[in-house]
Amino acid sequence: MQVSIKWLKDYIDFDWSPETLADKLTMAGIPVERVIRADEGLEKVVTGRIEKITPHPDSDHLQICLMNVGQKETLQIVTGAQNVAEGQVVPVALVGAHLPNGQKISKGKLRGVASMGMLCSAGEINLDTSAMTPEELEGIYILPEDTAVGIPASEALGLDDAVLEFELTANRGDCFSVFGLVREIGVLSGHEPKWPTIAAKEDDVESAAALVKIGITAPELCYRFSARVLKNVKIAPSPEWLKQRLQGAGIRAINNVVDVTNFVMVELGQPMHAYDYDTLAGHSLTARRALPGEALHTLDDSSRLAKGDELVIADSEKAAGLAGVMGGLYSEITDKTTTIVLEAAAFNGASIRRTARACGLHTEASGRFERGVDRENTLRALDRAAQLLQDMGACTVAKGVVDVYPAPKEPTAVTFTAADINSRLGTKIESAVMTDILSRLGFTVTPQGEDAYSVAVPSWRGDVTCMEDLSEEVARIYGYENIPSRLPQGEAVQGKQSPKEDFVDEVRRILVSLGMSEELSFGFTHPAMFDKLRVPEDSPLRQAIPIMNPLTDEYPLVRTTLLAGIMENVARNFARKNTDIKLFEIAPVFFPKALPVTEQPHEVMKLAGLLTGRREDSGWAQTSDNLDFYDLKGIVETLLARLTIDGYTVEAGEHFMLHQGKTAFFKKGREVIAILGEVHPAVAEAFDIHQKMYVFEMDITTLMKYRGKGFKFAPLPKYPAINRDLALIVPEAVKAGDMRQLLVKKGGKLLKEVTLFDVFTGKQIPQGKKSLAFNLTFQSAERTLKDEEADELCQGMLSAAATEYKAELRA
Amino acid sequence: MNEKIARLREAAKSAIDEAVDLNKLNEARVKYLGKKGAFTAVLRSMGEIAAEDRPKVGKIVNEAKTEIEKLIVEATQKLKAAALADKVAGETIDVTLPGRKQPLGHYHPLTLTLDRIKKIFLNMGYSVEEGPEIERDYFNFEALNLPKDHPARDMQDSFYITEEILMRTQTSPVQARTMQSHEPNSPIRMIAPGRVYRRDDYDATHSPMFTQVEGLVIDRGISFADLKGTLETALQQIFAANVGVRFRPSFFPFTEPSTEVDISCVMCHGKGCRVCKGTGWLEILGAGMVHPHVLEMSGYDPKVVSGFAFGLGVERIAMLSYGIDDLRLFYDNDVRFLRQF
Repeated sequence: MQVSIKWLKDYIDFDWSPETLADKLTMAGIPVERVIRADEGLEKVVTGRIEKITPHPDSDHLQICLMNVGQKETLQIVTGAQNVAEGQVVPVALVGAHLPNGQKISKGKLRGVASMGMLCSAGEINLDTSAMTPEELEGIYILPEDTAVGIPASEALGLDDAVLEFELTANRGDCFSVFGLVREIGVLSGHEPKWPTIAAKEDDVESAAALVKIGITAPELCYRFSARVLKNVKIAPSPEWLKQRLQGAGIRAINNVVDVTNFVMVELGQPMHAYDYDTLAGHSLTARRALPGEALHTLDDSSRLAKGDELVIADSEKAAGLAGVMGGLYSEITDKTTTIVLEAAAFNGASIRRTARACGLHTEASGRFERGVDRENTLRALDRAAQLLQDMGACTVAKGVVDVYPAPKEPTAVTFTAADINSRLGTKIESAVMTDILSRLGFTVTPQGEDAYSVAVPSWRGDVTCMEDLSEEVARIYGYENIPSRLPQGEAVQGKQSPKEDFVDEVRRILVSLGMSEELSFGFTHPAMFDKLRVPEDSPLRQAIPIMNPLTDEYPLVRTTLLAGIMENVARNFARKNTDIKLFEIAPVFFPKALPVTEQPHEVMKLAGLLTGRREDSGWAQTSDNLDFYDLKGIVETLLARLTIDGYTVEAGEHFMLHQGKTAFFKKGREVIAILGEVHPAVAEAFDIHQKMYVFEMDITTLMKYRGKGFKFAPLPKYPAINRDLALIVPEAVKAGDMRQLLVKKGGKLLKEVTLFDVFTGKQIPQGKKSLAFNLTFQSAERTLKDEEADELCQGMLSAAATEYKAELRA
Repeated sequence: MNEKIARLREAAKSAIDEAVDLNKLNEARVKYLGKKGAFTAVLRSMGEIAAEDRPKVGKIVNEAKTEIEKLIVEATQKLKAAALADKVAGETIDVTLPGRKQPLGHYHPLTLTLDRIKKIFLNMGYSVEEGPEIERDYFNFEALNLPKDHPARDMQDSFYITEEILMRTQTSPVQARTMQSHEPNSPIRMIAPGRVYRRDDYDATHSPMFTQVEGLVIDRGISFADLKGTLETALQQIFAANVGVRFRPSFFPFTEPSTEVDISCVMCHGKGCRVCKGTGWLEILGAGMVHPHVLEMSGYDPKVVSGFAFGLGVERIAMLSYGIDDLRLFYDNDVRFLRQF
């Protein structure tokens, strides 16, 4: 909604600048989005008379004009325009002007002749050029000869108006009108509005009721339908003043009848429609539900088929308009129209909103109906429209109004006490101040005993239904800035978050300390991602929930895995040549309980991470090795250790997106607590990445389940430890983890630590074998161990390894 | 005899003085104090001295030995120190070479911002509540006084899963969920941070997914003044103690009265710039007194208790705090961006 200052000033006096007014309204809850000044950039443009023209000595097309701009001295200005003549009054941009098109005017010389400004064309001073001829466009804009000289051009051109553009909240339908805004300005400024007298003279012999039948068959969607009939209509262009008002409101002028209905809509907030009476079958209009499949050709020249729940206004045969949204084409006002039916109705806002959305038609009318129009306003709107057209001599007015209003709305009554409002606001506002504010806003306040009041809500304020609504009315006029600030009293409570949130925070902290960076990606995905990740056809990951109305084709599903997002992020980084990456994300994924979805899905909090590229940042003292599987595994192991999760087993596993030979499952019993491995080359290829990548995925709830009770102190050893190295040559297929387990088992209580410090194949080692070298630490908490004890244990381990894995001691 | 000892003593002293390194010094020690050294020899020859003179001579010899031993210790220390100084002098490195880079991980800037916000409210005794991201229309809208076809639903264009289930458009549904999990009318002080989803185009200031923090305080006698004080305090802690805070009337279906809260522009300090579009103010959050319908629908009695609620956008606060000019950077996950925090 936008409206010009001049229109507002027709009905209320105020001295505020447009910007101040905008600020006052905004701070009272009527947000002004923008102040548009027509004269912007015209500050140094004045009117000037061409006193004398002489040809330029060095040019065929330039002319030298001596300009009277209301100053003592005339100004010499060189122009290239050909339409100038002595005696004309034209807009003159003085030196220092900064025109709307960005052009800056400075002293200059054109072919050796000094020029002290510029004569302006229509386009250069921001005039509406849509109706101008090419000649008018090209030349200097010529003002009427009697225009005063030396005054601001904006004044002479009627460009001294400003337009306020509102971004109104959904509750204030009443401010979708000049009258509504004037009422608010009246309250804020303390000035009385000067309401126009609205009255139509019913000067036709015929009566409206005899001419047209009005009906409502869907009273739940149409609360009131009022109509007038205008006869002897003369369709013509609107007068200038009306065009100007509409232009300020951002509405295109069409003809007197349409323009008047639009004018009344903006002025009173009541959308109207005019039908060509002679086109209406049965000369009747009924508000009814559309029939399923019923066709309607709307004013925007498009054919629409009704679903069956829309409200239409129909003649005795067919729909003549989509109620509250847009009229039909066949009953449109044309040059041949002589009799019209004017409609002013009140419709159900929710229904209008549904229809407008379904049709993708958001009109000035539908926007007002959605927010609710004043049902008591229809007759005034009809009178106002009839009066305006009558004043233009464009019609006669049939006697009477046809008004169908099945269930007149009772005024809403609300009670309050000053104490109620003060305790809600935390203020000590006098009750007299409150009643004064409410009265000025149009509420009728009746005292009901001590400090208690009964309030009749004006018909245009359908949004006010309870004391709390009144408290806002008082607060916004009293000024939010005048309400004190304090902190809530009450019993002290402990601030806390859930154990899960604490756990997630800790996981995040550990991973960051391990050099991983946190990413955040969208909760959406695309089916093609499942193919890229090689997700099996029957995997539950493919049972992703579809979004009914996705934003684009890019993301039609809700994600079931974090791995897709992390791969997309890595691919994006690769495209930007960022190839050293250590990322992780903690976020939920969503699994439906059934498809199609009937209830809320499972939300499962997951952790995923990816490593690729160099192990260390590049530098003179850094290694240039690449990360590998064991970096990944080390991070997972450290994470689990810091989370006090232990007693898990690690085994080779298979996962669709991972390299078969380089995939590990961490398990507690049979439950997998972590999956990790190298990204399958085919998956990498699908993301156009040609570098080894390593990923892990875990489930936060599962990790939480296996979390230990936290760290526990173990006394530091009092007795010295004994270290032994044990290098074993074993067949290559023997897994280090299995060997380690055997050693741990054989080592018993005295074996405190087993560190695999070397894995070797090659020279000195027979073909098909490898060497595993362990460092073993033996220690007792009670006594100093003897070397022989350690040797004996080593011997036991060796012979067990020999039996179990054909291990030999490396020489 | 005494003279002989005195000579020996002087000779030993000059040998110590002349020793240029530890080897030479050792040679001197052996020569005078060793088993076959000069002083040992003197003591061995005590038999040749008259018995009554022996204690006296012995004393002189021992005094001389002690003195020389002491000199040797001193000389040893001096030579060692000199040798160490030489060694250290030869080990100079280029300290301007860059240090060895240690692996360092980074929190996402939204996590950092959210953690700050959480901490502020945790310290004020708020609990942190959670709710599902795929939510029922009932909790997301209806329980918040937003019936179907309410025009205010236009402000939050939603991703629907079914007619009744949607990606939550706000963290406000946690309000209703929290109230319904509490004993009616029992006090609540909570915040609910989380991801929310709206059908907004992806541009420099909008994203189909973003992060919100909802806040709710319910108790007897809670007023708009409490709301103002709480939000002023929180915003001053988030931004700066001297940040200006402005409350503008607004409309949300779930609060009455409602307010938009602005802070003085953190870029230009209220003078007017590109970031604040010349107004000097930045819209930072929406808030209001909880609408009586919202309390009633969740079993609370608006005649007994009242409350305020607020919702703030974490992206916006992070953008202002760090000077980030494009919201998309948060979800782009460019490692060069992430490494800056």
